[in-house]
Amino acid sequence: MSSHESIIREPLITGDNITYAKITDDILVPVENMPNKAWWIGFTVASAGAMLWLYAVSYTFWYGIGSWGLNKTVGWAWDITGFVWWVGIGHAGTLISAVLLLFRQNWRNSINRSAEAMTIFAVICAATYVVSHMGRPWMALYTLPLPNQYGSLWVNFNSPLIWDVFAISTYFSVSLVFWYTGLLPDIATIRDRATGLRRKIYSVLSFGWNGSVKTWQRFEAVSLVLAGVATPLVLSVHTIVSMDFATSLEPGWHTTIFPPYFVAGAIFSGFAMVQTLMLVTRKVLGFENYITMFHIESMNKIILLTGSIVGVAYLTEFFIAYYSGGEYEQYTFLNRFIGPYWWAGCMMYGCNVLMTQLMWFKSVRTNIALSWGLSIIVNIGMWFERFVIIVVSLHRDFLPSSWAMFYPTWVDVSVFIGSIGVFFTLFLLFLRVLPAVAMAEVKLLLKSSSEQEKKKLLEQGHVGKEQAEFYKENLIKYDSVEQAEYSNI
Amino acid sequence: MDSTKYILGIFDDPDEMMKGIDSLKEKGVSIYDVFTPMPIHGIENKLGIKESRLPIAAFIFGCIGLTAAFCMLYYMLVYDWPINIGGKPHFTAPNFVPICFEWTVLFSSFGMVFTYFYSNHLFPGRTPRVMDLRATNDRFVIAVNAKTNTQHDQIDSCLKEAGAVEIKHNDRKYVSYE
Amino acid sequence: MKDLNYNQQFEFSGKAKTYSLIAIAIGFVAIAFGILAGHTERTFANLLLMSYYFASVCMQGILFCAIQYVSQAGWSASVIRIPQAYAKVLPYAAFVLIAVITLGLLTNHTVVEEGKKIVEPYLYAHWATKGIVVKGSENYDAVIAAKSSYLNIPFFFARLIIFLGLYSIFGALLSRYSKNEDEVGGMANYNKSFKISAIFLVVFGFTTPLFAFDAIMSLEAHYYSTMFGWYNFAAMWVSGLAALTLITIILRQNGYMTWITDNHLHDLGKLVFAFSIFWTYVWFAQFLLTYYANIPEESVYFYKRWEPEFKPWFWLNIVLNFCAPVLLLMSRDAKRAATVLKYVCIVVLCGHWLDYYLMVMPGTVGAAGRGFGIEEIGIALGYVGLFTFLMLNALSKTSLVPKNHPFLEESLNHHI
Repeated sequence: MSSHESIIREPLITGDNITYAKITDDILVPVENMPNKAWWIGFTVASAGAMLWLYAVSYTFWYGIGSWGLNKTVGWAWDITGFVWWVGIGHAGTLISAVLLLFRQNWRNSINRSAEAMTIFAVICAATYVVSHMGRPWMALYTLPLPNQYGSLWVNFNSPLIWDVFAISTYFSVSLVFWYTGLLPDIATIRDRATGLRRKIYSVLSFGWNGSVKTWQRFEAVSLVLAGVATPLVLSVHTIVSMDFATSLEPGWHTTIFPPYFVAGAIFSGFAMVQTLMLVTRKVLGFENYITMFHIESMNKIILLTGSIVGVAYLTEFFIAYYSGGEYEQYTFLNRFIGPYWWAGCMMYGCNVLMTQLMWFKSVRTNIALSWGLSIIVNIGMWFERFVIIVVSLHRDFLPSSWAMFYPTWVDVSVFIGSIGVFFTLFLLFLRVLPAVAMAEVKLLLKSSSEQEKKKLLEQGHVGKEQAEFYKENLIKYDSVEQAEYSNI
Repeated sequence: MDSTKYILGIFDDPDEMMKGIDSLKEKGVSIYDVFTPMPIHGIENKLGIKESRLPIAAFIFGCIGLTAAFCMLYYMLVYDWPINIGGKPHFTAPNFVPICFEWTVLFSSFGMVFTYFYSNHLFPGRTPRVMDLRATNDRFVIAVNAKTNTQHDQIDSCLKEAGAVEIKHNDRKYVSYE
Repeated sequence: MKDLNYNQQFEFSGKAKTYSLIAIAIGFVAIAFGILAGHTERTFANLLLMSYYFASVCMQGILFCAIQYVSQAGWSASVIRIPQAYAKVLPYAAFVLIAVITLGLLTNHTVVEEGKKIVEPYLYAHWATKGIVVKGSENYDAVIAAKSSYLNIPFFFARLIIFLGLYSIFGALLSRYSKNEDEVGGMANYNKSFKISAIFLVVFGFTTPLFAFDAIMSLEAHYYSTMFGWYNFAAMWVSGLAALTLITIILRQNGYMTWITDNHLHDLGKLVFAFSIFWTYVWFAQFLLTYYANIPEESVYFYKRWEPEFKPWFWLNIVLNFCAPVLLLMSRDAKRAATVLKYVCIVVLCGHWLDYYLMVMPGTVGAAGRGFGIEEIGIALGYVGLFTFLMLNALSKTSLVPKNHPFLEESLNHHI
């Protein structure tokens, strides 16, 4: 196995006397026991949010889209903002499980499961927006290419909104399959430890998994190929979302950089959301040994990277607005700062680009409270990014006589806040019934990348002195490592 | 007559289990199967299992998806009911690309995963054929068919030497049928 | 890997040297032929194309090294000397590029456009023609005048020199640290490389789009596309990877770098495969949005490339850069087969020449002056020779393996 791993790589599993059994025991604590108080508080708040969502969406369906704050000029506002925001967040899970798998980033093994679950819930939230902003939800049927009574007047496949239907539904179903296939071995673990009704339920869910050689061999082949096809799929989804805007002629929307720029933004917000959830999960469920400071720091580095890529895209847009010489284009971008929505522009650029630059400092990256705060700031910034692109571009376009402002109604606000409630309700339920960390994949790392193995190497003195020093220095940031043990090695 | 059906060598360390496989093979003992809580790198070669052909299935399903999407779009937009949309051509090939791509991915991933489920008999409600309950937790289990490999003592000592923590002589194949 | 010779060095002599010198000579002959045949503009266009390609590949070397350090990649430690060698060539490439642009920009010729005689430079005529930003001049162009605070000759050169100079410095630093590491060992040089790489990535990330806008997009100065920078970035990255893979395979076939196993090739193959798809993604996103929106100032770019003179090349571009690598490298076995990989890399390298050809030619010589003949092939060969000569020369200066690299052990035992 990978016994050749360099000592300077930071450990991915900390703690002494970690065995395969201990990994199972630790990770299954929330699944096999009654929930604690923190969970109940969270669940109560989240489900209250979900109820609010239910009420607001029912209200929308009853009274129609007129209950939102849309007007003739800004005909697309919080609904599509919320949709894009959620789809963006829904990118991180598949990205972590697929792209990081292809790049052999082993640290993904401990966070992929909950990230994928989060992806699925975020995409569900996004899908609810699509349906609810049809106003009459049964109209959803008309987005599908089904024969109909108009002599089969087919859907217009030239429309990016139809591409979206295909992209989002494909993405959702492929993510679900990817996630569930990965869960099978872990469900089997729960099944074989459970008794009675629980065993029966998990037995059905486990599809009869038994961990034989061929099952694993094909499982690995499937994971790899799924990762291979899911990677371009992730890129395509937000690309197509960006094309909802970029194929138009609207200044501020029509720009060729939109596809990769949206993808980078999606990864950015998705990783921030994973970070937000991961830091809480780690603390509440006591996963400090499996989700280590290295994971947190790596996540922060990716947030910094993608934030900077988004920053390059922002600058490129500004630059090309100048370079193009198009006055509408130029006005659109100036309007983000000097128009009535200047505060939204400041939130967008400030939160996404300026605040993330703080992550250049190691002390910020390795500070849990700051990381958590920044991850939330990123998602606020990314919400404003969509708001700025959508509402601020629309509210003043070619015809000054129709310039207008957008004011959300309580229904707009409730649908948005409620969707966050729906998301957290689903996520909290997930934590109760399924393992939040992929046990089988973490077990894979125990012999090569755990702190205890590395400590053995240090004690045996097989490693270079400088490399050992380097390794020990890197351990200082870990809150789950007994620093004192290293003073005399 | 010995009623043992299967001999299980139970290890707590994957490397020792690999040693166990080696020494059993040296003795000419055929291995029925190995059950592990995680994938083991390199075990397929040891047990002579051929490389999986699932990627090929994925490719074929992907091609089917691509063709299906293209045919559907072409039939609906160009052949069956061409609509004049802003004077643009009916056959707007670049606009077909996104959906063709999505269906390629959709078909290839679903096709492959269902082929996998089919070939390994995985489906909801299937009774788990588990030989040892800890094989999904922290034990690495080598199963040897006791009927075809009759020198039981030799197998036992072989496994013991390799570092098995426990050796079971089971009278029934699966423990999970209770 | 016990028999590994940590001091193995590339010996630059014999065939490699002769052939690369011959190729350089062919390049000079082709330039002379172009000028004598009266194709000066076409010759300049080709020189710009190849100088840009040459510089891009060298820049990719630095980028590759930097990414390996920042991402703590282990597998690549044993091939890192090759991109380091590119990095060391960048100053020469920068010099060549700037020299070509200087000559092309400052020498004029007279052309007849729509019955009007215009004196314009060989390169960047679209914005650098005399009087183009002067109101009242017969060459006056309001659109160009609006961007003249950016597109003017002094600022243009300042940017080119600063960007390429900065990249060269970072490249030199990275290869120097790696050399020091060979001599003294320890972690100090690794740490320094890590820091420098991170800074480089920031500098590079923010400046390459401008570099592409300047060198290539401004050939058609009315046209603009925000994607153009990243599109060129994708082309640069994948062509550099193909060059790296090709050089690795050729060196191994000649008895060097015996530690490179199929597993390393597999990884390189995967990168070429994946980033060919990425290039296509970026290319297609730009194309689709332009096609769909059909705004005149954007569509003109693709319109020109759909003239009958360019259309076959336009499609061939997709075949070479997308279909070929994707179909040929899809299977695991193909990525592990040195010969298949070698030919695919050659195809990809030619494909990106064509990609640049389609970026440069319609905006310089146009459909009428377009050609594919002695100038194109000869000049391309000349630059291949120049790159090979300089790169191999740089490669021969250090051992082929960074013996004290902290991840070397991982790389040598790399197994997928």
